[in-house]
Amino acid sequence: MSEIDNGKAPMSPEEQKAYQARQKHRAVILAGLLFFMVILFYFITIVKISGGS
Amino acid sequence: MTTASQTMQGLASAKDLFALTKPRVMSLVIFTALCGLLAAPGTIHPVIGFTAILAISLGAGASAALNQWYEYDIDAIMKRTSQRPLPAGRMDRETALHFGIGLSVFSVLLMGVAVNWFSAIFLAFSIFFYAVVYTIWLKRSTPQNIVIGGAAGAFPPAIGWAAVTGDVTLMPVLLFAIIFFWTPPHFWALALFMNSDYSKAGVPMMPVVAGQRSTRNQIFAYSLILTAIAIAPFALGLAGSVYGVAAIALSLIFCLLSLQVARSKTTKPDEMAAEKRLFKFSILYLFALFAALVADRMIFS
Repeated sequence: MSEIDNGKAPMSPEEQKAYQARQKHRAVILAGLLFFMVILFYFITIVKISGGS
Repeated sequence: MTTASQTMQGLASAKDLFALTKPRVMSLVIFTALCGLLAAPGTIHPVIGFTAILAISLGAGASAALNQWYEYDIDAIMKRTSQRPLPAGRMDRETALHFGIGLSVFSVLLMGVAVNWFSAIFLAFSIFFYAVVYTIWLKRSTPQNIVIGGAAGAFPPAIGWAAVTGDVTLMPVLLFAIIFFWTPPHFWALALFMNSDYSKAGVPMMPVVAGQRSTRNQIFAYSLILTAIAIAPFALGLAGSVYGVAAIALSLIFCLLSLQVARSKTTKPDEMAAEKRLFKFSILYLFALFAALVADRMIFS
């Protein structure tokens, strides 16, 4: 696995592991939010085209 | 030596990004916006209504993020705010700025596209007012910061109303005025027992600049104005008796607690029971008053 280069001091293996865990956690939450927005915009579109707004 | 928390600075946790939106303040914003939306004449589709409340909440979160981006220095000095993500070193300022601007743009676009552009412009103005007029311009320069800045917190019910009607009439103006005149006694009660925190940070809050006596008198004066405005919807026939009884009873208690604060002479925070009581009751007051308005609308419409 390649070293993470974020312009700061090199990380120890433990720090790198924690960094990647945080990245993963943020990605999962972002995916959830995007999915929620897709569903929301789908329903908004349905309401708009049926003239229910 | 570089610590783990410093190397993680470039990647704020989701929990800290959420904390940046001041979730507790947001709950009051959501509630008052929802009340404005439910009290407005006319109907709104539940999906559009939900989207309007979501956009207002995101706008409030964006304002809070921009506020913390700018105030990281004084937040670090005050005990109450020193554990926020920026002063605690868990996030860098750039992240907070980008998050705040991104959320602002998204919330306004969401409101405009899904609800209507009048309420979207209204929301954009409220974000600008809180982030620029209050946070950057007024907070550090005048003891009237809370009075004028209170307007920012007073917008949500009017925006909720505008989401339904697409305009602003006398009733949403009164809802705005209720929060506007509620804010000074609410925050000055807090500032009285947090005086040392604010003076240490150099924030010109009223007790720091004008002294405790003047602040206590002004708290009482504002509570009288608040009472008149809170009762106005009932007196003008814009709300029914459920709201009227609640407004009179709640405002009477608010005035009595304010009077206790005005008569108090204590200067020690530990002895400021009356100030703490008023601060706690003021939160309940706003929730109960707006809940009564919605209950009134549900019963009489």
